[in-house]
Amino acid sequence: MKDLIAYIAKALVDKPEEVAVTEIEGEQTSVLELKVAKEDLGKVIGKQGRTARAMRTILSAASTKIKKRSVLEIIE
Amino acid sequence: MDIFEFEGKTTEEAIENACRQLNLKKDDVDIEIIEPGSAGIFGLVGGRKAKIKVSTTKEVNEIPDQINGLAVAKEALENILALIPVEGITVQAEQIDGTIALNIEGDTSGLLIGRKGRTLDALQFIVNKIVNKTLEKRVQVVVDSENYRERRRDSLIEMALGMGDRAKKTRKPVATNILNPHDRRIVHLTLRDDKELDTRSRGEGILKKVLIIPKR
Repeated sequence: MKDLIAYIAKALVDKPEEVAVTEIEGEQTSVLELKVAKEDLGKVIGKQGRTARAMRTILSAASTKIKKRSVLEIIE
Repeated sequence: MDIFEFEGKTTEEAIENACRQLNLKKDDVDIEIIEPGSAGIFGLVGGRKAKIKVSTTKEVNEIPDQINGLAVAKEALENILALIPVEGITVQAEQIDGTIALNIEGDTSGLLIGRKGRTLDALQFIVNKIVNKTLEKRVQVVVDSENYRERRRDSLIEMALGMGDRAKKTRKPVATNILNPHDRRIVHLTLRDDKELDTRSRGEGILKKVLIIPKR
């Protein structure tokens, strides 16, 4: 799950070395915190949040597979 | 002497594309315009790309942009699918004109399609972003699985025709659900030739409704 978001984020940004994903696991829900370089924030959010939404959609498909729920948060 | 063909929205853009891809200056090439290209109405109907023929006497170091794009797109999608993770699937890739078509084979659960194709659209959006970040030239990537795109298209056409009939019968406008640009285009195009109906998009942002209005 963590690797999935890290891979997508790294492919989208200009500074892949500054991409960091931390996973906070709960019983049913885990929270993924995505951190990128300040200049790259717009790239992972996208126009009207489109990129962020697409990442969340893919993430929820991946979570469904293992019967869990995941939330993606983009940290400033 | 080598001869190449290039496309662009305008003649100038086609020439620019040619120079970039062949790695040559404008003065080094002879340009023959095959088609000047037109924007069409609202960039929707009848838009035609400009086509040019380029010949040069210089040594050409062509950058194989298209082949590259295909490989980048396929790899990106395969990597994402492997991380989801889904097993037992293969990705078929092919390039038709400027469009890269990726077809996911082997997912029978519908997991990768999602409700109303949302997961498929998300994958397509991300792969598009990745490919167009890597390449200089813009290409369109279409991701499909289990023939979903065609099935969706058929059901949208059927829906549009049904709503058109209802609009004519009741003499009142009928609105669709909120649709993405690609789906809206199908609705508009389906009813384009119906002289008794008008179609218009309503709403803000990426998702809009299509209003089907009976003409008086």
